[in-house]
Order: sequence, then structure tokens, then C-alpha cells
Amino acid sequence: MFIDLRGLTKRYGSFAALHDCTLTIERGEVFGLLGPNGAGKTTLLRLLLGYLSPTAGRATIDGLDCHRQSVEVRRRTSYLPGEVRLFGSMRGRNVLKFFAEIRPGGELRRSLDLADRFELDLSRRVAFMSTGMRQKLALVATLAADTPLLILDEPTANLDPTVRGIVAQLVAESRHQGRTVLFSSHVLSEVEEVCDRVAFLRDGQLAHLQVMHDLKRRHRIRARLAGPWQPPPDPLGQQLVIEREAEGRISIETPGEMAPVLQWLSSMDLQEMNVQPVGLRALYDSVHDLGHG
Amino acid sequence: MINRLLLKKSIAESRLLLLACATAIYAFCWTRVWIVSQFTMIQFQTVLEQFRDYERFSPVPFEQLFTYTGRVALTFDEPIVVGAVSLWAIARGSDCISGEIGRGTMEMLLAQPVSRLQVLWSQTFVTLGGVAILAMASWLGTYSGIMTNSVEEPVVRSWTIPWLQIEIPNWLAEKEVRRIPLSQEVDPGHLVPAAVNLFALGVFLAGLTTMFSSMDRYRWRTIGVIAMIYVTQMITKIVGLASDQLAWLSRLTFFTAYEPERFVSIAMNDPESTWSFLIRDASGVFTDFGPMGYNSLLIGMGLAAYVAASLIFQHRDLPAPL
Repeated sequence: MFIDLRGLTKRYGSFAALHDCTLTIERGEVFGLLGPNGAGKTTLLRLLLGYLSPTAGRATIDGLDCHRQSVEVRRRTSYLPGEVRLFGSMRGRNVLKFFAEIRPGGELRRSLDLADRFELDLSRRVAFMSTGMRQKLALVATLAADTPLLILDEPTANLDPTVRGIVAQLVAESRHQGRTVLFSSHVLSEVEEVCDRVAFLRDGQLAHLQVMHDLKRRHRIRARLAGPWQPPPDPLGQQLVIEREAEGRISIETPGEMAPVLQWLSSMDLQEMNVQPVGLRALYDSVHDLGHG
Repeated sequence: MINRLLLKKSIAESRLLLLACATAIYAFCWTRVWIVSQFTMIQFQTVLEQFRDYERFSPVPFEQLFTYTGRVALTFDEPIVVGAVSLWAIARGSDCISGEIGRGTMEMLLAQPVSRLQVLWSQTFVTLGGVAILAMASWLGTYSGIMTNSVEEPVVRSWTIPWLQIEIPNWLAEKEVRRIPLSQEVDPGHLVPAAVNLFALGVFLAGLTTMFSSMDRYRWRTIGVIAMIYVTQMITKIVGLASDQLAWLSRLTFFTAYEPERFVSIAMNDPESTWSFLIRDASGVFTDFGPMGYNSLLIGMGLAAYVAASLIFQHRDLPAPL
């Protein structure tokens, strides 16, 4: 494992910003962090970077303790904060030069190539850049670093859809290069597009862990029954979640292969049938409904 | 401990302030010496005698101020000189940690493979270098003032006896007024202890401000706390000087260790004690700290504050930018 969290906890007095978080992330994985504001996502990332000292538990990256060996950890990590603030008096090019030079093995060429891809005007001072431009500049500085781990906290905030697309593309490229990416976002479609696994945080606790490949196989089928109901054969029936509603309406959720389900459904007289992937939105809602229940 | 790029960044961020403070100090010190040269000693003496009742507030006896060296040394007690060094020390010290955190730039800075100590000490190197430059600017300002100005001195006319070359003063004749270079009256070397004392004050203030900066997230609050301490300490010194019963208060303020006029007086009247740590009376009993004693006290407390700042910053949680 590349990232290992064991009972990681951060308390401020009686308030637990993160509680007993245990999680492992493999090398080369794109891992998403989801949760509402105050769920503990940023606290988790700041603990990984050594900004905060854990109240209990331990976090390691590549076998290095995130708190005690913070500089070594950051040598292997490139981080984009959620609230990007750069040095206002510097010009864009100088910002990239600074971040390229401060890192051993950093290359300005790589940063400049990326800046071209984002169509960034590097001659402008940071103080005179728009919020979106600053975000792009910080993204370029972060993505250009040649590190095995990339931590992106809300990377697409303040960006237009075109640039969001480029970011998703660059995350996919990072995965192909074998880099590990930790991706925190509120934009579910982005997380769905780029992540291999997703952790849902709620009130500082790890509420649910989802493998995206499994989620993509999950579908919800809605239809209206025009004829008699035929119960599904075993073992298919044990895998399905079936809800029968008024006026013959049915809702079926399937966790796996569609073929046997469709074969069973073809034995009934159904109307107005539609099939949809379950998607992250539904899962997100259900995780948080559980919280209120 | 010091990172070249962080050093470069810190210099780039602070060079305008340093240039402004150094220019102000240099120009003011030169002007202050020029003003000294515009008033004859008699004129100045007449004015100062009016304030004899307030001599206790003066760090040196008035007789010392009736010398050109004493009057030039007053420059180092002027609010502009002390203020410019304090401004630099407080501005840079407060920016060091709470400034970076408040602006949100610490987040990106510490995302890089640099230690917290590197961030702190790279800034500190620039701050202390700046304090040294400002102290040097104050001495250079007075030095060039001394070298480029002259003063009027009344001289008694005399008779010269031919062949014997003997001059006999003519007390009956009206005195002749001559302009003589100020450098004949003031040795710039005597002012070096004052500049060193100014440097020591800057180190102390920078260290103290950095210590408060290291535990805060708002620069304005750091500056507020330091301004409060500064004013309180100044009042403590004034009250200590004003009342014999409260003279002990003088021992509780760092301004007691900032006595440039007294150190210039020691350099002038007791050259052997110019760089002494302790001053003893004829029987060898300790009476007070010497110039280097007070300077060491200020620099020592400043460095202790820097060590405290390092420990605090290294162990504290870094708050998220607001």
C-alpha cells in the first residue's frame, strides 16, 4: 500500500474533525474523497501533509510517517490546496520558476508546457489575475511536479467546463504514468469520471468506501407491470433489491450483470421500462440519508 | 537551515521597505547633523539651560550635550531613527509566519519539500541583515554629515611677536568667528557604539515580533500585541525616570538597554570601556552593565525569542486559510 491511515483522529477540544479513520490506498490508484462541507476531507489531507498533528492514530505515505517525516513525505507529494493563494507580487512565470526550482528535479519546461495547455498568460502579476487564472496557475505548478503522489483538493473550483475537462484528462494521464492521485471534490460527475475508489466522509468519520467499477455495474430498472408478477429465480432473487409500488410500478436495483435480470424481466409483460446506472449521486444521497436516519 | 530560494523570495518581498527605511535613516541622520552645524554651541547651551529641571530624563548629563559629539549622538534617540528600525523589525517579524498564514501563502509554501525551520530562518536571515543595513545607514548618515558640514567657532584674536613667533591673545579685541570642519570636533568612531546599540534594539524587536507571529494566524494581531508591548515599555521607562520611588521600573523595560547617547559618552570620555560588558568603580565593584553588556542583553533576548519562535512554529498546527 502507498498510503496507510490507521485510526487517524484529529480533535479540537471535544470536537472531532476526523475520527478513527482507517484506510489504505494502493500505488497508482485514483482515490476520491467525498462529503459535505465540514465532513473532514481537508483535515484528512492536512494531516497527510503534516500541517496538523494527529490526536491519535497514524498516517504513512510510502512508509514515511506523515507527521514526523513531513519533509520527506512532501518530497514525494504535490499538493493543490482547496483555497489557492499565491505570491501576489510575482509574475506567473516566476511563480512556476519558484515551484520548479524549490523541488529537487523540478523542471520549468514541464510547467511551461502545461501552462500552454491551459492557455495561461504568464506575464501577468498574480495580484492582477482573475480567480480562475490563479487556480489554473496553481494547478500547473502542482501537476508539473514529478512526484509519485498528487493530492488535489477541489481542483476544479472556479474553472470553466473546458478547463475542467483538461484537469480530468491530466488526472487520467497521471494514473497512466503510475502516479497515485488523491482527489477531493464536490463535483460528483468528475469524481465518477476519474476515480477508481471513493471514500465518503460524514461528520469526521469514514461512512462508506466504494469501488467505482462495482458502482458502474449497478443499475436501477423502473417499469410498470401490465401482466402478472413473476418472482425472480434463485440465486438472482437474493441479489436484487425489489420495490413494488402502487399502480403496478416496480423498481429493481441490480448490483451486477444485467443479462440474467433482462432474461427474467422478459418473462413478464412490462411497460414504460427504463434502465439507469445507479451513479454516485444516488449513493451520496443514501450515505447521507443514513446519517439522518 | 536557510533555503536559497526562500531567501531570494524574502529579499524580493522586502527590498522596497528596506530601501525606504535605509534612505529615510541615512537622509535624516545627515540632515540632523547639518542642523547641529547650524546652531553654535552657545545658542544651543542657552536653550538647553532652560530645561535644567528635566535633566533627569536625559540619559547623559547636560554637559555631555554641550559638546558637538553629544549633540550629534542625540540623532540615535530621534523617533525617526528608532521608528524606522522598529518599523522594519516589526513589519518583517510579523510577516514571517502570521503574515504568510494570513495571506494563505504558507499553505503552498509548506506543500513543498522545505522544513518549517527553513521557512522561518530564511526570513530571519533577511530581517537581521536588514537591521544591520539600517544600523549601518544610521552611522553612514552621521559620518557623511560630519564629513560634509562645518561649524562656526568664536576664536580670540591674537598678536604675533615677529621673529619669536609667539602668539599673545588679545582679550580686548572682538572675537573672530571661524568656520571649522565638524570632523575636527566630532570623531565618527565615537558613534559606532550607538549604531551597534541600534542594531541590538532591532534584533530584539524582530525576535520578539517573530515569536508572537509564530503563534498567531493574523498579522494585524501580532502587530497589535507588539505595539501594545512597545508603548507599555516606553511608559514604564518614562515613569521610572520621572519618580525616584519608581526608579526600579526602569529595570523592567527593554528601552533601558537602548542608551546610544550614554554609550557615545563612554566612548568619548572613557575609551577603555567602549566595548566593556560590565562597568566597575575604582574599587572594582560592579556598578552597571557596559555598552556590550546591554547590547548582549538585547541580542540575547532577541535570539532567545527566535529559538522560542522556532519551537512554537515547529510544533503548532497550521490553520487553513480563511
